[in-house]
Amino acid sequence: MRLNTLRSKMVVFLVVLLGIIQIGVFTLVNSATTRAARIKIDDELVVGEKVFASELNQNAERLAQAATVLASDFAFREAIATGDHGTMDSALENHGARVKAAAVLFVNLQGVVIDDTLRRGAESRPFEYPSLIERAKNAGRATAIELLDEQVLQLVAVPVQAPLTIGWIVIGFPVDQLLATELRNITGLQVSFVTEDKGLWHIQASTLDEDLSRALAARLPPYDEALRTRVLAMPEQHQLRVVPIGDSGEQHFVAVLQRPINDAMGSFRALSAKLVAMGVLSLLLLIGGSILIAVGITRPIDALLQAVRRIRRGDYSMPIDMHRGDEIGILAQGLDHMRAGIAEREQQILKLAYEDSLTQLPNRSQFGERLQREILLAAAEQRTLSIFVMDLDRFKFVNDTLGHSVGDHVLSEVAARLRNLMSEGDCVARLGGDEFAVLMLTGEQERSVDLARSIITALEQPIDFAGQPLDVGASIGIALYPAHASDAQTLLRNADIAMYVAKRNRTGYTIYDPRYDTSQQEHLSLLGELRRAVEQNELRLYYQPKVTLSSAGIHAAEALIRWVHPVRGLVPPGLFIPFAEHTGYIKMLTRWVLTEAIRQCGVWLRQQMHIEISVNLSARDLMTRDLPELISGLLAEHEVPAGMICLEITESGFMEDPTHAQRVLDRLSAIGLRLSIDDYGTGYSSLSYIMKLPVNELKIDRAFVSNMSEDADMMTIVRSTIELGHNLGLKVVAEGIEDSKAYALLRGLGCDFAQGYYISPPMAAEALPDWLNGSVTMRRPPRALLEAAQAESLSPSGDETILSAAS
Amino acid sequence: MRAGIALLLCAASGLAQGADLRMTVSDGSNQPVADAIVYATALNPPAPVEHKASIDQVNRRFVPRVSVIQTGTAVTFPNSDNIRHSVYSFSRPRTFTLKLYAGTPASPVVFDQPGIVVLGCNIHDTMVAWVLVVDTAFFARTAADGSASLPGLPPGDYLLRAWNNSMSDEQPGEALHVGSEALSPRHLHVDGQALEVQP
Repeated sequence: MRLNTLRSKMVVFLVVLLGIIQIGVFTLVNSATTRAARIKIDDELVVGEKVFASELNQNAERLAQAATVLASDFAFREAIATGDHGTMDSALENHGARVKAAAVLFVNLQGVVIDDTLRRGAESRPFEYPSLIERAKNAGRATAIELLDEQVLQLVAVPVQAPLTIGWIVIGFPVDQLLATELRNITGLQVSFVTEDKGLWHIQASTLDEDLSRALAARLPPYDEALRTRVLAMPEQHQLRVVPIGDSGEQHFVAVLQRPINDAMGSFRALSAKLVAMGVLSLLLLIGGSILIAVGITRPIDALLQAVRRIRRGDYSMPIDMHRGDEIGILAQGLDHMRAGIAEREQQILKLAYEDSLTQLPNRSQFGERLQREILLAAAEQRTLSIFVMDLDRFKFVNDTLGHSVGDHVLSEVAARLRNLMSEGDCVARLGGDEFAVLMLTGEQERSVDLARSIITALEQPIDFAGQPLDVGASIGIALYPAHASDAQTLLRNADIAMYVAKRNRTGYTIYDPRYDTSQQEHLSLLGELRRAVEQNELRLYYQPKVTLSSAGIHAAEALIRWVHPVRGLVPPGLFIPFAEHTGYIKMLTRWVLTEAIRQCGVWLRQQMHIEISVNLSARDLMTRDLPELISGLLAEHEVPAGMICLEITESGFMEDPTHAQRVLDRLSAIGLRLSIDDYGTGYSSLSYIMKLPVNELKIDRAFVSNMSEDADMMTIVRSTIELGHNLGLKVVAEGIEDSKAYALLRGLGCDFAQGYYISPPMAAEALPDWLNGSVTMRRPPRALLEAAQAESLSPSGDETILSAAS
Repeated sequence: MRAGIALLLCAASGLAQGADLRMTVSDGSNQPVADAIVYATALNPPAPVEHKASIDQVNRRFVPRVSVIQTGTAVTFPNSDNIRHSVYSFSRPRTFTLKLYAGTPASPVVFDQPGIVVLGCNIHDTMVAWVLVVDTAFFARTAADGSASLPGLPPGDYLLRAWNNSMSDEQPGEALHVGSEALSPRHLHVDGQALEVQP
């Protein structure tokens, strides 16, 4: 039993409490009984003393009566009164024997001993104790204990009357063992007759045994002190009384009444022993009882404790079954309610944590855990796995334009279709948004591709919503275990990368290839280096001029970021921009680009160069809440009118979240910024949607422009786009112009601006003024450009503007 | 008994030619002593005379309690009580025991030796009587004032003595010469007051 448990505390407390009470009671009773015992012995001794004195008196009285009777015997008197010595002698002896006297004396009226049975034939002598005779004269008789001829005798003096008193008969009775024994029998006390002579005690008779008698004689203090003595160690403690019974000159006669204290204490000792036994018994009973009670209380508490431990371990399955009417029962009930509640809530939480509530598919967490488990199993069994990450195309658009309920319907339907395609053991999950994942318990590439194709086919079927067919496609990235990664996280990431590749290339599905991705390590170092690049000013902005086709004047340029790596040299944007977009670092880059571009614009403005600068914004940038404020701040700082800055946004940039994009674009437009739709024609954005946006220009994707000289369809697209833009009141920019033919064609089609290597590759800011002046040899300095244009085109245009612009 | 004493006195007064002696008896503290016996014994005593006297027992008492008799007097002990008595004497002049009896015993006790005789009853310890046996006919009992007289003492030499029952022995006495002339009063002493034995 540990000492800090409730049970042991209760038991110890009760036992100590009772122990104290017991000891207290015992001490009280013991001291009371001891005191009572001593008082009792004392009382007994006092009573004994009184009884003794009374008995001694009565004895004397009896003896005196016997003596009186003897002395009044007629013949005895006759013998005394008339007889001679011999007759008297024999009479004294004869009659003395009748009363068992030790000595009989006849004392005449003159106090002379006439005859004496002790000293027959001796000289007559005065009687030794005349006071006895004197007392007898007055009282008729007298007794005293005196020493006579070395014997302690109870002397009785009675007159001899003939009929007048003619003398005194003194009869001596022995004070001896017999008397002592008689007195002991009556008083219940040990009786000793002791004489004291010159400080020495002599035991005359005693009921004590020899040893004690000797001890008594040896240990009794001197006479006066002895009379006051109450307790004597001999060596055992005796309580005693020393009762004087007579004096004889120097000698004292006493009776010692005594009793061993232990005798009297006997009954009290027995009581004490019983008390101790009772105390021990009750203590044992209490220990037992309190253990029972404690166990009665603590056993259910132990049960509760165990239940609590189970709950703490997360085991909620076992109900706390305790039907008691007391507080513990109520507590148990409460605990059980708690247990049930926790269990229920845990189920809910688990469901929330591991299951997507819309599709009832496992969520990302569950999928991740499942994947990890399967990887462990597969590793152990040398099996292969494959996972898909699938993203719906155009889902954002559906969701935003038709509402969330439609979006939810689409997701549920997709989930249902996916579920139908799964084989036994495969797992499909919704990772979030419109992203799904599939786990196949095989890593065979063929089977994976088969499944991917089945999925794509299944999703090509339009989804019906209230009679309206909705068209959503999907891009799938496939990663194989262990070929592409050995851990769940990397495997997922690689599938993700593959999915992005599939999406970009519109191939439906793509199997991961390490080429799609620099290694994790490289990514991390790239991120670090990119940070350093911003901090250490390794980034540059290059500017690619936009030519106004009607005048061949240069009024605008597109700012393009360049990274001059101290080791790698010039890093092309294609190597780090997608990565920056992926990690979100693009926001920092955009901020830097905006700052630099606006600053540069300001610089040129103060040099009287009115170059409108275009900056590319990514979809993520549009998510930045404070983008308009940031730009207004920069414009104000560098004293640049908002109209000098144009923001180029790709179609996909606002298709991800059209509502939000519209809001941001509205705000940017309100500032006075010009907005341009980049890469127009590659996305699926509807014109009706674009018409709602506050854009100023369309930028035809380079894919159309670079191929239009050879491809009539492309030519048609370019032409209709230009017409469309103009009809909507937008300027149209063509990029990717690589030869004079395209330049001339565009000019002929009425395109507003042209940009491309044919005109100029991007150049550093410092190079631009010289390029404009024509002092630097570039591929197409403005003047040459003008001339070439004039040569190839039949339609002339205002020359001066170019010149003035170049100046 | 009183008749007996009267008889004695008559006998004494019969010798009318003698001188009268008047006396008083007092004790040590000069108090007169009643019931003391005064007696004058002739130095040449006459032969004992046969007299008769009686000591009765009435209500467990001897009556009279103190008697004086001339040597040779026969005393009877009639018993007037309806219980029996056993009269005894351990006194030297005359030791006797009368066995339990009622009425008057057949034979009287003759006191033929002078001296003091103390009588008791063996049954009743409180009964005591004194009998003074004297060798003379001249004796008297003092009155309450301690006075007594011995009338008609014949001339001659006498030994004059006084006694009462508190005394266990007779006194030596004093010489008395009776001549022709009148006798002057004498003053005698006894040891103490007469004993009254408590019942």
